[in-house]
Amino acid sequence: MATLNYYIVLASILFGLGAIGFLTRRNALILFMSVELMLNSVNLMLVAFSQFRAEMAGQVMVLFIYAVAAAEVAVGLAILIVLFRHVKSVNINKFNVLKW
Amino acid sequence: MDLYFITFAVMAVGAGIFTISAREALASALGLLTVFVACAALYLHLHAPLIAIFQISIYAGAILVLVVFVIMLLMSPDDRLEVIQENMSYRIMGVFLVAAMIGLVVKALKDVKEHGAVSLPDGFGSPGQIGEFFFRDYLLHFEVASVLLLVALIAAIYLGKKKL
Repeated sequence: MATLNYYIVLASILFGLGAIGFLTRRNALILFMSVELMLNSVNLMLVAFSQFRAEMAGQVMVLFIYAVAAAEVAVGLAILIVLFRHVKSVNINKFNVLKW
Repeated sequence: MDLYFITFAVMAVGAGIFTISAREALASALGLLTVFVACAALYLHLHAPLIAIFQISIYAGAILVLVVFVIMLLMSPDDRLEVIQENMSYRIMGVFLVAAMIGLVVKALKDVKEHGAVSLPDGFGSPGQIGEFFFRDYLLHFEVASVLLLVALIAAIYLGKKKL
């Protein structure tokens, strides 16, 4: 049986991968996916704590994170599409003017 | 250490590395899908079957399909393989930040008491019990989340208009 510490290490590795991806990639869509990776690792941590403390609150919190993630992706991708219409690129280094 | 955990943990980490290193965005999305599925398998192991189902249906089903849809909408085939100039300073900064974070986790891990298997109450993680929790103790939060989703919906529709 894997103990809580293994899950904490796994979740922090996944979070670290997401953070590295967010800071190093310049493609806005891959940035989005890195954020999803980080959110996912937080979910994993919450579920692991919920199981090892025999408390339900962690699992309920995960459902709220799903709602926030869905809202974030819907609005974020809509913003990205609007930006793409102006800049014709998804490279975030080109998103450097506030007004056209 | 059980084999089930190791299998899916290795799968998740490997797919995570693939997600952030793949040159093409679609390949990246595929890696992310693998991470989601591996995590869903781990949720099943952690007595959270409902969360595992939601993981597949919401993340892999809805969110990732939306991302893939936008990738195909925005990037022309020759644009997808374009090598994006990556600034070295970003990489150094990223590695520093992550090293600091992992250091924090390692330090915190020393204070975590080793939790073995605890005896779980009957029906732990079953949809019925989550529903009871959700609609009794967290009813207000549930309503706030529904308003948040409504706001996101309206914002997405507004941003999708031809002329803002």
